[in-house]
Amino acid sequence: MALTTIDRTARQIVLTVQDYSIFAWNAMLNFFRPPIYWTDFLMQSDIIGVGSLSIVVLSGISTGGVLALQSAATLSAFGAAAVTGQFVSLTMIRELGPVLTGIMVSGRNASSMASELGSMVVTEQIDAMRALGVDPLRKLVTPRIFASIFMLFFLTIVADACGIIGGGGVTVLMNHQNGTQYFNMAWEHLRGPDIVQGLLKPLFFGYILGSIGCFYGMRTTGGTQGVGRSTIQAVVTASVLIIFVDFLITHVLLTIFT
Amino acid sequence: MDDVPSILIASEPLHETVPVVELRHAGIAFDGPPVLIDVSFKVSPGETRILLGPAGVGKSVLLKLINGLLLPDTGSVLLFGEEINVMTEEELFPLRARTGMVFQEGALFDSLTVRDNVAYQLIQDNKIPDEQIDARVHEALRFVGLEHTFALFPASLSGGMRRRVAIARALIDNPDLLLYDSPTGGLDPITSTNIIELIIKQRDVHRTPSLLVTHRLQDAFTLCTHRFDPEKNAMVPLPKGTTDPNTTFLMLEEGRLIFNGSLHDLLHSENPFVREFLE
Repeated sequence: MALTTIDRTARQIVLTVQDYSIFAWNAMLNFFRPPIYWTDFLMQSDIIGVGSLSIVVLSGISTGGVLALQSAATLSAFGAAAVTGQFVSLTMIRELGPVLTGIMVSGRNASSMASELGSMVVTEQIDAMRALGVDPLRKLVTPRIFASIFMLFFLTIVADACGIIGGGGVTVLMNHQNGTQYFNMAWEHLRGPDIVQGLLKPLFFGYILGSIGCFYGMRTTGGTQGVGRSTIQAVVTASVLIIFVDFLITHVLLTIFT
Repeated sequence: MDDVPSILIASEPLHETVPVVELRHAGIAFDGPPVLIDVSFKVSPGETRILLGPAGVGKSVLLKLINGLLLPDTGSVLLFGEEINVMTEEELFPLRARTGMVFQEGALFDSLTVRDNVAYQLIQDNKIPDEQIDARVHEALRFVGLEHTFALFPASLSGGMRRRVAIARALIDNPDLLLYDSPTGGLDPITSTNIIELIIKQRDVHRTPSLLVTHRLQDAFTLCTHRFDPEKNAMVPLPKGTTDPNTTFLMLEEGRLIFNGSLHDLLHSENPFVREFLE
């Protein structure tokens, strides 16, 4: 009995991975084959990018501030409080900026994509679209995935900048350190590979959150309860995948750059 | 039902040979027992076929097989003479664009206005200027008597109005085949009659072949015993003792096609399930 359950679960996981791979690959290829729905791409960019700006700014400032608070306390024990700026900027740009932005945006948008598309599936709107001769993958999925990639790139830059500014604010106002020194350290120790690493990650994370959100939305079954289930699965899977893929990318990039 | 006499011919049946739809031993199963088993029938040009059967017997699934929204596990489905179960999703889109489908609950896009819903296909094709699209939407909405809903959203329409908008959406591009999935299900008798009148109007004015799924015998018999009168702009009963010869019946029981024939054959069927269903 237990073996049957394990067998069935394993088969389900393999099938899901296979379905996702085909789905995500086809959705990506569609961006390079007409028709391309530019209006939908721009609309989704607005929803994902502009709509997520406030949470990204707030989380960026808070994270930078917390980093400055925590690191200054530890670094001053070794007489190295002056390198707070370097610590905050490197951590934000290489790691926390992309990952936190990815998770925040996936919490907001992967869930919204899964619930929106899921509702369309259970009310037969997706079938209606197919019956009207329009490919839902091209019309609904591809614009969302590419808008996620495109906007997450810029949102990460905003988060990085806000994090460094937030860290600067805490350094000057709460830690009573020199602001010029903080920003000098933050800027001077930045290297090309750090920036490459920080800007490459959101491309992967955007793809993950867009494709996972749409994938779970499009395979919704079981009415409104199913929509809720898809939404949860989308957010959880996207967040876990972002953290896992971050580890892989960091490992690969560190190997390349060192 | 007893009012329906033995059948005489109201107009000449159409004699065209290439079927618009043909199912050959089609079957499909999901997780569990098969939903459809060895189903074979045809829809000829100008013909209206009414698919009867109790709820959950596979009627909607059958309709989705016809335009390739689902693919059969066994047998084959031919749409406009092309075998669709060997086609890719992309190859199916042009065929689907020639088919109008009215879904059970309307399946209108709730984020779009009635105008954008009805014109969806035309907007996506991007070949017609906006003024022409508006004119065609007005025409389609006039056909279903809902011109005033042009700028409204589906959420502000009643269930019956949504079905009529769905019919307008299915008709706007003059389809070569119409598929109606329980268009009167869950509606009050007056609204149901209005919708059946629209279906008769489309059948008699444009001669569009169609397949209508329903479990309501009253709707099925109304379709068979009425015609559309363009002068009165309403449906009128056919002379007593006559029915539309191009409107025929199919019946499903537990996934199998157990009846395929005219109203006369249906009423005189010896099949116990058919008898029970009719009674």
